[in-house]
Amino acid sequence: MPNETLKIKEFIIDHVQIGDSYQLKDHQLVIPKKPQEVLPADFQSVEIKVLPPNQLDVPTNAIMDVIPISTKVLGNIGEGITHTLTGTCVLLTGADQQGRQIHDFGSSDGILKDQIMLDRDGTPGTNDYIIMFNVIVKSTSKMDRKSMTEIFAFADAYIQPIRKILKVTNGLEADYTHEYVNEVHPGKPKVAIVKQVSGQGAMYDNLLFAKEPSGMEDGISIIDLNNFPVLLTPNEYRDGAIRAMV
Amino acid sequence: MGVGPSTKETTKHHFKDPLVRVFAQDPDIDFQGIIVVGTPQDNVLKNLVGKRVAKWLKAMRTDGAVISADGWGNSDVDFMNTMESIGSEGISVIGLKFIGTQATFVVTNEYTPYVLDINKSPSGKETTVLAENSLDERDANKALGFLKLKMRADQKSAELEENN
Repeated sequence: MPNETLKIKEFIIDHVQIGDSYQLKDHQLVIPKKPQEVLPADFQSVEIKVLPPNQLDVPTNAIMDVIPISTKVLGNIGEGITHTLTGTCVLLTGADQQGRQIHDFGSSDGILKDQIMLDRDGTPGTNDYIIMFNVIVKSTSKMDRKSMTEIFAFADAYIQPIRKILKVTNGLEADYTHEYVNEVHPGKPKVAIVKQVSGQGAMYDNLLFAKEPSGMEDGISIIDLNNFPVLLTPNEYRDGAIRAMV
Repeated sequence: MGVGPSTKETTKHHFKDPLVRVFAQDPDIDFQGIIVVGTPQDNVLKNLVGKRVAKWLKAMRTDGAVISADGWGNSDVDFMNTMESIGSEGISVIGLKFIGTQATFVVTNEYTPYVLDINKSPSGKETTVLAENSLDERDANKALGFLKLKMRADQKSAELEENN
């Protein structure tokens, strides 16, 4: 375990804008206005907006997730090299066409600046560009596990082309490199963390070990594991081994 | 994240998890890793997964564990079950969860005094503001400090028992 080294190379983004295609250079990210894939049958529409820092005075539907953009460059989750973008992240929101919120128990819909605390570990920073990915499903949508997973997967497919460019971006251009090892301290009290996560179905699910950090492809659902415990090393955890779908 | 937007743990939260950050930095503990466990609906499974966590920790010769919950409400039952299972294996355990004024314990047991509240809102209620009540670095530091004290106290009482 002590030999597993994880390098997370950080690329700072200082401007995000909508354009015709995906581009990533000189600290600037360009993303297309529309998803390139055909909308699933349950979807009414998908709206993509870029919110510059301090411009969060906009309506939002229930916030389903905040997703960092990272990609595996070398090795598997928990070891090798990961590239990650800072200064931007994806905010996934959703409702049905009649305004029924996707997370209907205590939904965070409203005006975005009033519904989110910035600068927490799980939320964007004050100076970040937020990529708002808003999915409107048809009112006939069952909002069951399958349709929820479809929304998360659709947003992930929109992020993947950014990861592809980031994957081939020269690591020497990274703004910071963070190096992590799973340290052991023999003779000291042995301590573990237990994280209880949601796995009840519908919108309460978590994926483990997706191919990409904080991604979805090939991820294994905690529901499909019958909610049984899984051990992660600190480096696996730090490398985005968990994808929240709640 | 489960029920409750103000405590829900986003994918970004897991990526930058404050518990992992704080525990991995402390040279005075031998940090073993993170056990992720879900919240089954079925009662038999609820007990079983908690028990499996406890057996796993025992097999790793873990001295102390911190358990944190993502969301609140129905999952509180799983939380207390798992805490009890860990405790009954002789492992010191501290909990972290949203309590406030809204999610207080329906049933208390010998482990409830060792659960720290992560509520941060003045009302003590679910605010529906994303991350307002989520676990932060301060909570993680508090839990680690509390766990160290608990491990010491548990060891002392075990020694006393042995000597008597």
